[in-house]
Amino acid sequence: MLEINNLSKIYGEGENKVKALDNVSLSIEQGEVVLIVGSSGSGKSTLLNMIGLLDQPTNGKIFIDGTNTTTLDDNEISSFRNKKLGFIFQFSNLLTDLSVLENVLLPREIEGTNNTAEKDARDLLKTVGLEDQMYKRANKISGGQAQRVAIARGLINKPSIVLADEPTGNLDSVSSETIVQLMKSMAKKLNQTFIIVTHEKEIFGDVDRVITIKDGKAFEGDQPSKMEVLA
Amino acid sequence: MDYRLRLAKRMLFNKKSSLIGAVLAVTIGILVIHVNFVIFQGLFDAIVRDISDYRNGDILVTDDSDYIDKSDLSLVNWFERIPYVEAATPRLSSTAEINMTKNGMRFEETRIPIVGVDPFRDIRASTVHETVSEGNYVFSRNSIVLGSNVAKDLGGAQVGDSVKVKVVDRWGEDQIRRFTVSGIAKSPGGQGFDYTVVIHIDTLRDMMSRPGDTSSLMVKLNDPSKAFEVKEFFLRSFPNDDFLAETIEESAEQQLAGFRSGIAMINMIGYFGMGSSAFAILTIQIMLVNGKTKEIGIMRAIGAKRKDILLIFIFQGIIIGAIGAGVGTAAGLSYTVYADVTKMSFNNSLPLEVTYNWEKIIQTALTSFALAIIASLYPSYRATKKLPVEAMRTV
Ligand SMILES: Nc1ncnc2c1ncn2[C@@H]1O[C@H](COP(=O)(O)OP(=O)(O)O)[C@@H](O)[C@H]1O
Ligand SMILES: [Mg+2]
Repeated sequence: MLEINNLSKIYGEGENKVKALDNVSLSIEQGEVVLIVGSSGSGKSTLLNMIGLLDQPTNGKIFIDGTNTTTLDDNEISSFRNKKLGFIFQFSNLLTDLSVLENVLLPREIEGTNNTAEKDARDLLKTVGLEDQMYKRANKISGGQAQRVAIARGLINKPSIVLADEPTGNLDSVSSETIVQLMKSMAKKLNQTFIIVTHEKEIFGDVDRVITIKDGKAFEGDQPSKMEVLA
Repeated sequence: MDYRLRLAKRMLFNKKSSLIGAVLAVTIGILVIHVNFVIFQGLFDAIVRDISDYRNGDILVTDDSDYIDKSDLSLVNWFERIPYVEAATPRLSSTAEINMTKNGMRFEETRIPIVGVDPFRDIRASTVHETVSEGNYVFSRNSIVLGSNVAKDLGGAQVGDSVKVKVVDRWGEDQIRRFTVSGIAKSPGGQGFDYTVVIHIDTLRDMMSRPGDTSSLMVKLNDPSKAFEVKEFFLRSFPNDDFLAETIEESAEQQLAGFRSGIAMINMIGYFGMGSSAFAILTIQIMLVNGKTKEIGIMRAIGAKRKDILLIFIFQGIIIGAIGAGVGTAAGLSYTVYADVTKMSFNNSLPLEVTYNWEKIIQTALTSFALAIIASLYPSYRATKKLPVEAMRTV
């Protein structure tokens, strides 16, 4: 469960001030696959960074599973990200000094609970179809495979929300298709919330919800003419 | 293995050039210290060794203000009953004027140190007789050994030449005697009798009208570490004789004081070297950290705390320090062993006294290890300042 109240983000000061997010409020239910769309520079990544606690909002509150995340300190935020959030970025998501398996294991090792970690990681890698690439160094696999590893890594700590910022933005259409299907099936199978920023809405087909960001404001749906402002 | 240690290791070993550079920096720092130690401490110890072997023994006994008038035989016997004592020998010193006529030319040298020795005891307590390269030591009453520099100043005196020696006796009268050169003394480091002449002690006593007097008693031990103990025992046993007894460290102190501060300075230079290797590590690690901005962002995004990032890079400092200290110490020891087995000498003459000072070796290794860790603190701190949003950025 995610709830965002009156969220604003202003970058810079004075002349260079940019209002990247403008009083956004919305809530997302457990298990929903939500697409965030909008033109370049509209504020999609900013919104995702705020939800991911990677950056501090200027105003507003974010509740994840009932926790007011704006009151957490740096260490609490770190362990919150570790336990409750999964991340899939557009570019080079993985630690190239580690193997594929070690990358997937890393969130569990950071958490410090190692009991079933290795088995869980192997199972997840099997699910994303990479059981035969486990011991390869992470810079020796293709871009599409790397995104699948990132999905496995994002899921290993059974997070509340997986955040993906243009996960297919750097992939060919075949790989993109694989990634999209994988995320959708995982969402269904694990009742896993996915919030995905994309500008290739079409390849996702049917999803639970689409939110459009325009000039830092959020609108329900993808039809700019009929959009309902989320505020 | 802890994931932080594993990451530290992988990041370092996957960046071989940085690893080698950093390890080399530590290695060179340590090597400089070892080489300095072998050469300069070796030189210092060689000089101490020669002063001890040739002149002062392990213990030097003199009279507080004058000549020792106690029987030298009884003192030698007293010392040689102590198991730690190898041998003891009396010596009498003064200054002399020497002249020689050679090929019709007359050479005269004044203020030449002259030493009287008891030859059969002297060769047991001192190795100075081994520096008599030509001819023999002073085994007869009218033979004289010339230091090589004295011989040169006398126009190239040789074995078999005849020289006249003048000393002033205790009553202020000149005493002149003729001697036959029996040998020329020349020591590798010049600490022997190179600037001195040597005659039989009884002859010199005779000339100085000091029968039975002795300037100093040179005591050689078979275990030099017992010098202080033996000295104290001696002084306690003769409380009323105004004896002065000094270990080699004490008796050579004046000659060595300047050298000692020179060594301290060279050591300082060595530590500066270590300091600059720490600076090299700092620079290399800052480069490493900056090269891992994206990775640090990813780690932070998936939950690593600042403390974890700090640890990863301090672990790198530990790894660099450990490898560097190991390789550096191995390299330094190799050089020391090389100097030892090849009997490396200073200026192709004075053989260095090579020692394995384990305390200093370990201290050097630990210091550079610690410096590597200290040098990694700032880059590690910088790493903790990298923001998790960096994970989102391109490349
Ligand atoms: N770190 C930043 N500093 C200053 N301005 C920023 C920063 N990040 C984003 N912006 C600005 O905020 C706006 C929204 O950016 P972003 O959220 O990245 O858009 P999107 O992901 O939709 O393309 C843009 O105008 C962008 O230039
Ligand atoms: Mg973006």
